[in-house]
Amino acid sequence: MSERVCVGAIAGSFGVRGEVRLKSFCADPKAIATYGPLTSEDGNSEWNVTLSRPIKNGFAARLSGVTTKEAADKLASTRLYAPRDRLPELPDDEFYHADLIGLAVLDTGGTELGRVKAVLNHGAGDLLEVSAKNIKQPVLLPFTRANVPTVDLANRRIIADPPDGLFD
Amino acid sequence: MSRSVWKGPFVDSYVLKKAEASRESGRNEVIKIWSRRSTILPQFVGLTFGVYNGKKHIPVNVSEDMIGQKFGEYSPTRTYYGHAADKKAKRK
Repeated sequence: MSERVCVGAIAGSFGVRGEVRLKSFCADPKAIATYGPLTSEDGNSEWNVTLSRPIKNGFAARLSGVTTKEAADKLASTRLYAPRDRLPELPDDEFYHADLIGLAVLDTGGTELGRVKAVLNHGAGDLLEVSAKNIKQPVLLPFTRANVPTVDLANRRIIADPPDGLFD
Repeated sequence: MSRSVWKGPFVDSYVLKKAEASRESGRNEVIKIWSRRSTILPQFVGLTFGVYNGKKHIPVNVSEDMIGQKFGEYSPTRTYYGHAADKKAKRK
């Protein structure tokens, strides 16, 4: 499991009073404020986020310790990370995309088929995009109990029983 | 203008044939189709179709609430990944 999750980014300053223009990557954009304190990519800087108001493409927000426009300008294009353990617990059969990405995909016989590259949803259920060995294009595996009977986050692997011909 | 009711829903005939064959065989397979314009019918519920998006076949697990929609609605032709952040996936 990755220790930190990228939950947003600073697009630049907003106004002249030290506010920043904040882009949230969360499913519920306002939730970014609840995962604080957020850190920079290198982990050296840490901020508490207070959302001021929604603006076009994000929020105007105030970061702890950032009081001037110049300081806010310097943070432009900084990505914000939250510790993974700050995300709420999920019920059975629900998983964070961040936890699934990177897991090894094994078939029921134990042979490695590939690794999860992304999780997609086009309206007909979640799909795991698996970068398969020996196949140029990534394979889309429906994320159902029938096709993915076991998700073993502790051992970083998924046991898959894919439909016939999917990995050929 | 919407389609006349007396005509019934439009489905390419090969889709019906493939779906019927798959249901009879009982195999766990993705039924590859190119017909994005076909309507999803009640007899397709429970089957998985691979709907072509111009590049690859996107698996579509048909459920009851999809009846009456077109297959193409579930197979986007443009990809946007976005960020994982706190997004959740549910295993059905």
